[in-house]
Amino acid sequence: MAGETVARGLGLARPGPRTSLGIIWTVFLARLRIILRYKGAILGESLLPVVFAGLPILLGIAVAGDEQTAAENFFRTTAGAGQGASDFRLYMLLGSNTFMVVSLMLWLIGYWVRREQETGTLEALYLAPAKRLHVLAGVTSYTLVRALIAFVSAMVIGSIVFQVNPLAGNFPAALGYLILGIPALWGISFIFGALILRIKEANSVIQLLQWVLAFAMGVYFPVTVFPALVRYAAMAFPPTLMNDAMRSTLLGLTSIYGPWYIVLGLMLMAAWTVPLLGYEFFLAVERRIKKDQGVGQF
Amino acid sequence: MNLRAEYPERPSRDIVKYVGACGRGTMPEPIIRVENLSKTFMSKVRKKGKRERKQVHALADVSLDILDGEIFGLLGPNGAGKTTLIKCLTTLLLPTSGKMWVNGFDVHKEEDKVRASIGCMLMGDRGLYWKLTGRENLDFFGALYHVPKAPRRKRMDDLVSLLKLDEFVDRTVETYSSGQRMILAFAKSLINDAPILILDEPTVTMDVPTARELRHIVKELNRQGKTIVYTTHLMHEAEELCDRVAIIDHGQIIALGTTAELKASIRTEDVVEMEGIFPEEAVERMRAVPGILDVGAVAMDSGLTKLDVRCRDSRAMLSKIIETASGNGASIQFIKPKEVTLEDVFITKTGRTLSVDTRVLGEKEAPRGR
Repeated sequence: MAGETVARGLGLARPGPRTSLGIIWTVFLARLRIILRYKGAILGESLLPVVFAGLPILLGIAVAGDEQTAAENFFRTTAGAGQGASDFRLYMLLGSNTFMVVSLMLWLIGYWVRREQETGTLEALYLAPAKRLHVLAGVTSYTLVRALIAFVSAMVIGSIVFQVNPLAGNFPAALGYLILGIPALWGISFIFGALILRIKEANSVIQLLQWVLAFAMGVYFPVTVFPALVRYAAMAFPPTLMNDAMRSTLLGLTSIYGPWYIVLGLMLMAAWTVPLLGYEFFLAVERRIKKDQGVGQF
Repeated sequence: MNLRAEYPERPSRDIVKYVGACGRGTMPEPIIRVENLSKTFMSKVRKKGKRERKQVHALADVSLDILDGEIFGLLGPNGAGKTTLIKCLTTLLLPTSGKMWVNGFDVHKEEDKVRASIGCMLMGDRGLYWKLTGRENLDFFGALYHVPKAPRRKRMDDLVSLLKLDEFVDRTVETYSSGQRMILAFAKSLINDAPILILDEPTVTMDVPTARELRHIVKELNRQGKTIVYTTHLMHEAEELCDRVAIIDHGQIIALGTTAELKASIRTEDVVEMEGIFPEEAVERMRAVPGILDVGAVAMDSGLTKLDVRCRDSRAMLSKIIETASGNGASIQFIKPKEVTLEDVFITKTGRTLSVDTRVLGEKEAPRGR
């Protein structure tokens, strides 16, 4: 009877874990469908880190005179700073590739919040009873998959272009560090998304933070070259930890954080605390916005 | 009064049974209750390069009940506070003070259950993913409303058939006309088959036949038992659809009742509507004519003035009205005895027409009394 259907409402039953997973999957699938309808977006992302790695490699050769001298100079300098990297091409490629994973995950969340604000879909999401955490989990899963696809493609293309072998080091351990670093990236992306929600402007924030991020992560150099204060600030940044853990594992270097168990401990701690802090920050900003003019304002 | 105290005790794990149990008796109960709701926010104003922050009272001590199974109209000009009220009810905004219950759930404490109780069409054709097809949009939002997969598919098929979406539902939304997008947004609001449907100016970009069809569907949904909250600034829509209407202005409810009650509240006399050029003296002389109760004047966009002359017996007074106006320099271009409409109620209560945007006024003027 129509009356009974109306009185019940199809979505009023208490949602179980399966429904929650269904929401994450639905959001993930929708984002994936949307990006696949923009031709060439993922291909462009795969080429970008190769270009980013190519710039310092070519600069190094240009400054040093030839590639051998550039490699020797880089080894000497990084050894003095605590890490002697013999394969500077792989060092650059890994750095720029990890940077791309981090920046894609952050910027995609930032642009997602902004775009949803502008198109009115953010308000539509807030009208639904789905938990914000599940929606965010769907979006961040999508950003992760997109970043990983770009990472793998860029590593393959970069390895061919720069004639390096990323599989020579402890590849499974490096992959493990990458996966372990992702929850902390989610946490930072929640903070970043909340900032965009509040500031209502993505481009300027992204352009500013892009360079701060590249600088702090030590994309092209170990952060031990920084003066003490900047060095500790950079080392406290979870993407720097992830970058260093991966790179030192693959290149057989000593991590700037210390032995492997310290690195692992720090990564576990970041994986546990940063997402919680990030989500709490997001909820606090959201409450503040709802007290003011609402999420629909852009 | 605590609304929940009136409802049967709710089993903690069985919301479905609870929702089925509340309401639906012979006496309609409020399915939405608003008590002393106020919303104040700060607005930035830029004047001559200087930025100032101003306090805006979007809602001021609003209280109302919306009964289970009725079509309730919220009527008012742009900036009156209709959308703010709806945003508070739908959990999009936190009120500055006051309490609200929707479908028996406290809006402040049980946000998710409130959202699950409502189907919403708030932003016209915004709120759709343009790179997804209509069907993908419905599926997406159905999942977000916790509608299980099988009923979701059936519901989508039913909606496609009911709203005649089959011609375009499998195309991406970016290829739709604005009318098609509005219909899809309407379909989206029905995907969770919620007991309460909130529609914010749903026909605004629709062509006349589509708007008529939508109103027909709204009536049918109401006949099936849905409570509908309908905001509009179109008088004929409110009169055609709504069981009761609240007229809202400057964040306050200035009139509330059935359309008949509201009209009757100002219909103690006849109204003669006139358009033309009316010098102030002519208006004053007309006001002084015995038998004429009041003359309301509103400037029109065309430069002419519209007069509503209220009198006890328009037939007896008509020649005297024309004579007085013409004799005092007025140029009458149009004259007819007038049916009382909801717009007249609004004009009588506020001295303005509904087409006036009150957002700026809202910042400058203190709210009017009821």
